[in-house]
Amino acid sequence: MDIELFNKYKKLGRGNWGKDLAMWKAMYTGFLNQMKDEEFTAISELLLNIFLDLPKARKQGIPIIMHSFNYGPEIFHAMNLEPLMQELYSVGLAGFHLNEPYIDFTNKIGFGDNPTLCNAQRPLIGSYMQGIAPLPDYLFYLSTPCNSLAMTYQVFQHLAKIPAFNIDVPYWAYNKANEFYDENTVEYMINQIKDLISWLEKETKHKLTAENLQLTMRNLNQSREYILEFNELLKTIPCPMPSLAGFGNFLAMVTRGGTDDALKATKWLRDTASENVKNGIAGVPDEEIRIAWPYTHVFFDRDLLTWIEETFKAVVIMDILGFYQVFPHDTSTIAKSYQSLALGTLDFSMVGTCRGPIEYYIEFLLNYVKDYKMDCVIMPMQFACKHAYAMARVASEAVREETGIPTLIFGCDPYDSREVTSEAIRSRISEFITQVVL
Amino acid sequence: MSIMEKIEQAIPLFNHWISKWKNEGKKVLGYFCSYIPEEIIYAADILPIRMRARECTDTPMGDAYMTPTTCSYTRCCLELANRKQYDFIDGIISCNCCDQVRRLYDNLRYKTPFPYHYIIGIPGYVSDVTIDWFKHELIKFKNNLEHEFNVNIDQEELEKVIKIYNKSRNLLKELYWLRKKDNPPISGTDMIKILSAGISIPNEQFSELLELQLKQTEEKKGISDYKARIMLIGSMLDDPEYIEIIESLGGLIVTDSLCLGTRYFWDLVDESTEPLQGLARRYLSKISCPRMTDGHLRRVDYMMNLIKEFNVDGVIFQRMKFCAIWWAEIFMLRKKLKEAGIPFLDLEREYVLSGVGAMKTRVQTFMEILEGR
Repeated sequence: MDIELFNKYKKLGRGNWGKDLAMWKAMYTGFLNQMKDEEFTAISELLLNIFLDLPKARKQGIPIIMHSFNYGPEIFHAMNLEPLMQELYSVGLAGFHLNEPYIDFTNKIGFGDNPTLCNAQRPLIGSYMQGIAPLPDYLFYLSTPCNSLAMTYQVFQHLAKIPAFNIDVPYWAYNKANEFYDENTVEYMINQIKDLISWLEKETKHKLTAENLQLTMRNLNQSREYILEFNELLKTIPCPMPSLAGFGNFLAMVTRGGTDDALKATKWLRDTASENVKNGIAGVPDEEIRIAWPYTHVFFDRDLLTWIEETFKAVVIMDILGFYQVFPHDTSTIAKSYQSLALGTLDFSMVGTCRGPIEYYIEFLLNYVKDYKMDCVIMPMQFACKHAYAMARVASEAVREETGIPTLIFGCDPYDSREVTSEAIRSRISEFITQVVL
Repeated sequence: MSIMEKIEQAIPLFNHWISKWKNEGKKVLGYFCSYIPEEIIYAADILPIRMRARECTDTPMGDAYMTPTTCSYTRCCLELANRKQYDFIDGIISCNCCDQVRRLYDNLRYKTPFPYHYIIGIPGYVSDVTIDWFKHELIKFKNNLEHEFNVNIDQEELEKVIKIYNKSRNLLKELYWLRKKDNPPISGTDMIKILSAGISIPNEQFSELLELQLKQTEEKKGISDYKARIMLIGSMLDDPEYIEIIESLGGLIVTDSLCLGTRYFWDLVDESTEPLQGLARRYLSKISCPRMTDGHLRRVDYMMNLIKEFNVDGVIFQRMKFCAIWWAEIFMLRKKLKEAGIPFLDLEREYVLSGVGAMKTRVQTFMEILEGR
């Protein structure tokens, strides 16, 4: 990162952000310092601006709406609200191990433990009780993919007395031959989204105009096109991007979906992948192993994927969040825009794969493995993630049966290094790759 | 044979009512959650029974597929299915009530399939939109049953069955009202036996037993040798022994908010509306399980009202180990009880009774605290 640019962002981060944004500011500083010795990309810029926009919105009196990691914020942007993706906070702390005291405090006050409740959300409660969690004006979450998310958000809602809205996501399939296909599902989702909008308009006094909606949806679908192209490019051998690249798309869409910032970030990723393919550049030089990672990253170990790349010449081609698979839709009319919003909700990262029966996950995994010519599958499963962990074994059996490739499944806490350490995780992966894959 | 002895005969997984039902050539479907409308199943002349697994002693298969960090109820169900102990059941009906039950459904289908299976989508909150959706889901379910079992579930039959179920709900309520007395004529242990029977036999016959039990109970001398009146709150509990432990130490269970307790039967289906509409409204907006994201304040009021009405001295929370839903709910309810100055005890348990020594110690201490107030 250019020193002038670094200093510019350092300066922007100064000043009083407010007591409840103390950790938020600490994270900003942490990420900025991390970027100092790295290439400054469109994703870097996106991430820093997400942090800077929150205190700005506070100062300008723009309502802040906290939402879950599995929902795109396009409606919020279209209504000139400031979205705050909760897990960017709770999980972002993990990379710096700053979440650990709040996990411990949450244990102490009796709000669950790991493996009962997930540490992707629990630090919010612990840090709120200590007065340093970012406080939104409103709260929004989905019923899916898990109880842990829905319950922790409920607890936060009642503790902090924040008005909240929830959308139900039913089982649904696109394929008309599937038992879960239902021609009424999209309408159901649209009705709920309209209820959300009515609620937001009433609470915030911000209106959703047709013009803003259509502009946002146009941007959103353009981003989706870039991402689809990016996903397609990653099928190239060797993979043109390093392991963490796809996560940038998820980050762009879950924090800035529908905005110019997301357009810029997703276009940059697509262009970079495209250039690399054209020039025969591999994300991992001399790529030897392609790994499917159909779960989330191990967030507390920021160097894990780099270690995998360097040690085994192995590339992890997207994780379950980074593998964003929402197709662009026709948004030429308001009605079609609402349809696109509904379908986007149903197919968002980890919603599309986990909202239904296990077959959705298995289908996703088999396509992922086959399309990207994977050599193996690694699933570092969060102990508390009941809905996913209880699918892992059957899914791995399906992969072995159909493709013959091996799967490593192990339990850990991707957010807390003390449960299963970095060393233990690397040891498991090392053993798997050297003894089984190679 | 006393009525209670007859009722106890209904408790095992496979009892003579089920045997008789099957001998008549009729089907039995197991369901996993109190959000599943039994009326629709019964209207098809199929016996709905709640899936239970108290006979489970260990869970190697459950641990392997569901993992050791999921709730033991679901692991036990998978285990018993693998051991063919559900072979008398013609199919299963599940729902997305919680992550563990919905993944149990998946693992059952893959590893120990039943001849019939169906999953109902239950919305996560109550509104006109979601009640409409839930009615739509129930129509699909009804159509599926009709198609798979070659039956016709008409409006008249549904209305009749709703009346049958409402009758047993009212009878259960009458039994509960008797527990308001200073000397309740029925213990919590006997009550859970009655409720366990209710989910295991045809509802009409359950009502017959209930009527007899009610008459007998009204005439019974009340229980006076207890130390404290207790409300029991939590999830799936079908083990009389668990309650017996509490009551043997002086804690008389006078009321509850349990999956198999008041939350199961307290609310009636409105018989004046179109049956599926009535079922959708009743099941979705009944006193909720904490899986419903918008019901917490209503559950708090419900708890506080029952504490008042039944003159409760203390609350015992029982939550299944690894249950995210109940741990979070109890975290919030405890706060409310603290504010109201009502003592509570928070017990973690496995589905099959274990850790009895530790449980007794904690309950005993709690009783001493309550006695000293």
